[in-house]
This record gives sequence, C-alpha cells and structure tokens, in this order.
Amino acid sequence: MQHQPLIVRWSMPITIVVLFALAFTPAKWLGWTDWFAAQVKVAIVPITHPLTITIDTIVPTRISDPEASERERAISAELARMELQLYQTRQENERLSNLIDQYARGAAITPELNVKQVTRPRIANLAGDVLLIRTGNVDGLSQGTVVVADAVQLLGRVSRVDGRTANVLPITAPSSQPIMATVLLNNDGSQARCFLKPVGDGTLRGEVARPALDENLSIEVGQEVRLQDSQWPTSAQMLLVGLIEKVERNESQPLRPRIIVRPTVGDLRRVHEVILRIPITQENNTGGEP
Amino acid sequence: MNWFVFILISWVCFGLELALMPVLDAGSRGVHPSMVVPLLVFVAMNAPRKPTMWAAMMLGVVLDLLSPMPAVDGGTITIIGPHALGFLLGAHFVLAVRGMLIRRNPLTMIVMSILVMLVAQVVVVAIFTARDLGANPLIWDAGDELRKRLFSSLYTGVSALLLSFVFFALGPVFGFNSTVPTRFARHI
Repeated sequence: MQHQPLIVRWSMPITIVVLFALAFTPAKWLGWTDWFAAQVKVAIVPITHPLTITIDTIVPTRISDPEASERERAISAELARMELQLYQTRQENERLSNLIDQYARGAAITPELNVKQVTRPRIANLAGDVLLIRTGNVDGLSQGTVVVADAVQLLGRVSRVDGRTANVLPITAPSSQPIMATVLLNNDGSQARCFLKPVGDGTLRGEVARPALDENLSIEVGQEVRLQDSQWPTSAQMLLVGLIEKVERNESQPLRPRIIVRPTVGDLRRVHEVILRIPITQENNTGGEP
Repeated sequence: MNWFVFILISWVCFGLELALMPVLDAGSRGVHPSMVVPLLVFVAMNAPRKPTMWAAMMLGVVLDLLSPMPAVDGGTITIIGPHALGFLLGAHFVLAVRGMLIRRNPLTMIVMSILVMLVAQVVVVAIFTARDLGANPLIWDAGDELRKRLFSSLYTGVSALLLSFVFFALGPVFGFNSTVPTRFARHI
C-alpha cells in the first residue's frame, strides 16, 4: 500500500471531501451540473426507452373507454381538445374584460395624472407579509411605487426592486407605516380625517376626527375610507383603503370614534396579481409594457 | 471485479429503475423500489473493499444526476453528493458486517438491501435538511421525504428478492467466483 503513488492513496478521501462540498454548495453555483445530468440521461435513454415501451405493453395505461373504436377515440379526443380551447378562450375573454375595466376605473381616480398601470403576478410571499411580485424589466418601477389590487384598492408600496422581482409591503402588514385617510361620510363631499394603523389581522384601526358636531354626519359601518396622505405619491391619493367594518365609541372622547377598516380585497397578501401605478415622466415614457 | 460488467449491469439497473418507477410507484406518492441498491449490496458483499467504495460512489453520483430536486421558482436543481455519500455509507455498512452474512442467500440480499437503502436515504434526508436550514431554494419537507424513503426502503426488499437470483447467477461474470475470506475464514 505504501508503494502506491500519493494521488492514488489520497483519491478516495479527496473524492469524499469533494462530494461533501458539492452536497452543500449553494444551488446558484450548481448550474453546471445540468450538463452532466443531460449526458447521463443521454446514456440511460437507450435502455430506459425500450424498457418503458415493453412495460407499457405489458401494463397498459388505463383508458377511459376500452370498448371504443379508434375512430371514436379520435373524435372523443378532438372534442376534449375543442372543449379545452373554448374554456380557455372564455377565461381569457373574461380576464381581458376585467383588465380593461380595472384600467379604466384606475385611470379615473386621478385623470389629471398620466399613470402607467402594469399588471404583474404575485409569485410568492416572504416573511413579514411581504408579497414577491414578478416584474421583469419595467421602466420607472422603483422603491415606493404604488401598488393596487382590483383597480382601486390600495395594496401597498414597492419596498425593493431587483432585475426581475419586486417586494411589495401591504398597508395591512404589521411593519407597515400608519396612514392618513379620509372617511367619505356622504355623497355631498363631507369627509372626516382618520389616522389608521395596521393591526396585524388584515385590518387597520384608528381614530376619526369629526369635522363638526353636525348630528347628520355620522360614522357608519360600510362607509368608504380613501387615502389622503402627503407621505404617499400624488398618484396614490384617494385610492380606496377599505370599508369601515366596525365603529367603536370612545367614551373619553365622544367626538373621536375608533374605526376598524378592512380592505375590499379579502386578503391583500393573497391576491393573484397586482397593478403597479407608475407615473409617466419624461425619463420613463419610452418603454415598458402597458 | 470486472468493471465492464459492473457498468453494464448498472446501466440495466438504472434503466429498470426509471422505467418501472411509474408502474411500481404505489399511488404516485414517491414510494418505489430501488433496482440499484440490490446491485450495490451484491457488489459490497463480494468485491474487495476499494472497488466497492468506488462502485458505491459511482452509483450514487449517477443517481444524483438522475434525481433533480424541485425548486420554489418552478425549476429543478441537480445536486451531486447526497446519494453518493449515502451509498458510500451503505456500502461501508455492508463491508463491516459481511463477514457474518450468508452471502448466497436471497434473504441476506433482502435484509441488507432494506438496511442499506435505509442508511443511504437517512443520509440523503439529513443532507437536504441541513441545506434547508439556510436560504434554500428547494421545495423540501423532511418529514414527508423521510416517510416516503422509509417505505421505499421496505419496497426495495421486493426488488432485491427478484434481482438476487439474477445477480447470483451473474456472480462469475462479475469476477466474484474467486474466494473472499470471511470473518471466520470460511470460503464460499
């Protein structure tokens, strides 16, 4: 054993160490393994494929109607394909109709502002109720960009952007900043300011400052609460924060009742897609998708 | 050991494992027998120490390359090492106890295949779970994986029973007809 070359004697321990290192190598550095995997697959296919055909012959896969003729099966398969296309077309039609409606309603909030609305899907949630949005390359998207759901429901702001994704912090997240908002008391424009803090259960809670002692102006369940906060961009003003879910009387301050506001979207963390409201400026007017 | 025969039989075993997987997978729950582990056990019971270790690592690396792991971004990642190290430990286990085994007995193959598979899968689960402690982009549920792999180990006993007769017949072709001294100096 002592007469073996050094490399032979140490080949086994070195291989084991390399395997250990590879086993714990971060996934982002393992892209090259796909090439080796592809070569192994190429080598294994000549035996796997005939065996698969043999096994499929011996153990055939279950078919829906074993008594049907070849022609009947072909017609049945064609019918199933057509049904699938019909359903997909209907779904796409409905989605586009909703999208047009949402864009129109969203643009109507601030008609004087030229805002580019970009719809992007949510791909995951991160710790702290943060939404991970697949954005791709969107011109003008930056930290602080306003994000809405369902056209006018304020969702939150972009907290981080990289080349392909963006993090969005919803207004209901416990780590989110309090917001100033206004309660629309009636149709004639009477409003009451309120200061809302996220509670952590998907709602916001805060006190309402009534503008006058007018008994006709009352805070009621179901009234709309909209954003009116100078800390937010102009394009976000008057977006819907939610509806009043509960009004709690404040015995010590009868003129400042407490309200609980719940967004109109059930759970802001679980929306399928969001709309990024990006103000169009000279710098970002050139690119991006609608 | 005849390496050419070993590679050829390994190739057939991998082909069988992949081809039979959808048929033998009990309820599509990831429980299926291994065809490679009985081969490893057969080699480990008969071949000298060093070739056995190299054979274990080779089989493990190939299995790693054929077992991409699903990632959270919808893709897959191929990680080399877990099965290789698991098979290495499994082979070491057989080498440690083979002096006490009746080698040309299907029951030995069954029991040892189950145990080696179990050892290897515990190593695999441990490595992936350790990876999962950090920022891991893989979809990994240690409890579920351990359950699946435990049942796969038991299921491997069935394939070991069938393959043992083939391997015993192929023993001379492997070059295992030479006597290997057992712990009690009894020659088979």
